[in-house]
Amino acid sequence: MDVSAMIPELFSALPLTLAITFTAMFVGFCLALVATTLRVRRIPVVSHLTDLYVSYARSVPVVLQLFVAFYGLPLLVALLGAEDFFSPTIAAMVGLSFYHGGYLSEVMRPAYLAVDRGQHDAADSLGYTFRQKIARIVGPQAVHFALPGYGNSIIYLIHNVALVMYIGAADVMATAHLIMERDYNQYQFETYLVLAVIYALMCLIAWFIVHFFELRSPMQAPEATTTAQIKNAAIASV
Amino acid sequence: MFDTEILLQDTQEILGAVPVTLGMALTIFVLSTIVGSIFALVEYRRVPVLRELIMAYKIVFKGVPMVIVIFLAYFGLPPAFQFLLSLLGINFNAHETPNWVILVIAVTGCIAAFQSEIIKGALNAFDTGQSDAAHSLGYTNGQLFRRILFPQVVLTAIPDLTTSMMVIMKALSLGFAIEVVDIFAQSQLTAALNYYYLEAFVIAVVIYMVIAYIVTQIADRLEQALRVRT
Repeated sequence: MDVSAMIPELFSALPLTLAITFTAMFVGFCLALVATTLRVRRIPVVSHLTDLYVSYARSVPVVLQLFVAFYGLPLLVALLGAEDFFSPTIAAMVGLSFYHGGYLSEVMRPAYLAVDRGQHDAADSLGYTFRQKIARIVGPQAVHFALPGYGNSIIYLIHNVALVMYIGAADVMATAHLIMERDYNQYQFETYLVLAVIYALMCLIAWFIVHFFELRSPMQAPEATTTAQIKNAAIASV
Repeated sequence: MFDTEILLQDTQEILGAVPVTLGMALTIFVLSTIVGSIFALVEYRRVPVLRELIMAYKIVFKGVPMVIVIFLAYFGLPPAFQFLLSLLGINFNAHETPNWVILVIAVTGCIAAFQSEIIKGALNAFDTGQSDAAHSLGYTNGQLFRRILFPQVVLTAIPDLTTSMMVIMKALSLGFAIEVVDIFAQSQLTAALNYYYLEAFVIAVVIYMVIAYIVTQIADRLEQALRVRT
């Protein structure tokens, strides 16, 4: 097995993996903001639908979510009367965005609730609108609470990008499979070891970036009681 | 297009995979809780060398996606077994290890790293003043564990353990890559036979969400019941 020839070939597929990751990160973040707002404000029917969405994103395996996106979205597009423009890559982006949004919403909501109740009341009594309250008082504190959970969710997103191979997107995993098949499946274990190192490095980089911001965060470390409320996101997500 | 007539027939077929999935999930849950508890105890007691080893183990298993761990186990475990058994002088063809055993071992390895975090958190939440009090009352370590530590730690850990049970259920869906049939794999097989892909997957989604709901309800009931008693 020639690792030095394999690594450039694997890296040639890295831009697609990263594109899917970053799209899911960005769209998922926006989705999570909307979902969290709707869940926090408790609007009758809408909030329940959002709850349903979040429990879909959290209790259904990501592979299954990807397959639902892959087979379901063309149907949705056809119903809306648009051209069928779906490729596995777009389906992967959409599926992972939905997954990440739901997962992240469950990081944001506890962070929002972990902000001291008195702060909410003070802002309300001073006549702040909801948007001002979020932007000036609750938001900056909630960001601090949410950062560790956010780091975890990014790491799990990177893990789950490894699954887009199953709906046919040509990411690093798929390239690795091509390489293995070209070698008549002799070096499967070794190839997966190389993959494991690549993914671990990606996670490590993501962790360092988030950790950098955690350290720079202007607030003191949160009290033990508040961390107990928001440590929910410590468990893996598949 | 979405066809509703096929739903009932598909549901019956996919529901057939639920007992197997739940059985495997429970096995993994028990095994990973045992392994995780051992890890947590080692870290809680601060055993010198083992502690660093467990740290390394956790970093590896948290950094590597579970699919890759499963594939590594699939290709790596049988030769490793074969080698170990041949050292012991037993002639056994380890390449005939059933795939579900490999899946159970791989997922247990991954989840154990997270279980140990959960149990460590629960142990840290335990008030050490209580163990001092118990020692001063002449409790042995075993009694302290059985009568004071264990009931409280279990209670603190229940919500997180519920989450990890759900994570195990979801992790089993990766088993289809190594030909283990769980709910997801069954829905794929059913769909492959009659070409109604979306229908089968929607049924699987509903089944997963219902199971999640039931598991959470049971855990909530259990927590409440235990809280009343203590």
